[in-house]
Amino acid sequence: MGKRPPITNRVKALREAHGGMTQAELGAAVGVTRHTIIAIEQGHYSPSLETAFRIARRFGVGLEDVFGWEET
Amino acid sequence: MRFPDLSFREASALAIGLLFLLLTAAYLVQVQPISWRSGVAPPATGLAIRLALVSIVGSIIIQSVLAVRRPAEAETPADERERQVLARAGNWSGLVLGAGCIMALGNYLLHANGNLLFHGILLSLLVATVAESGFQLWLFRRGH
Repeated sequence: MGKRPPITNRVKALREAHGGMTQAELGAAVGVTRHTIIAIEQGHYSPSLETAFRIARRFGVGLEDVFGWEET
Repeated sequence: MRFPDLSFREASALAIGLLFLLLTAAYLVQVQPISWRSGVAPPATGLAIRLALVSIVGSIIIQSVLAVRRPAEAETPADERERQVLARAGNWSGLVLGAGCIMALGNYLLHANGNLLFHGILLSLLVATVAESGFQLWLFRRGH
């Protein structure tokens, strides 16, 4: 518990590149709370596959353009 | 002084946790003066009823106040992360309750004191509720 999952993401960068979208706006668009978006961006939470796809589709990019696997 | 940005459910967990922490302290203050070893206070029906009423009314007031201050969040169902946190915290608090009950039952087997069994079970319930709120707050902040 508390161990950071080995998944990286570019959610914050993509969000800011899309007209300065807020965390609340992204959360509302994909069906999660602002605090969940915060947790995702900080690497504290790995979203479900469905939510990950929703985020990628919101940004108009592929899944692997948003999320990556952190090689240890 | 800057307060942390708490989500609706974090604020709810914090408030409920504090409520039950106060109730637990109030319960101990009422019962503690009487020795736990001999002459353990019999189950205080009046105290138990007051605890139940305050916990119910207090919880309703807390949720109502939070809902009025954050109506949009109050109406939104828990999302996937929140559901995981709530489920995990509930599971862990169940273990706390179970441990407390087992200790109370074990104590009864040793001392055959029914009054102590009652207090042990009631205290386990209160502590488990406080623990659940604590687990929720920790999981919300720390993630997994």
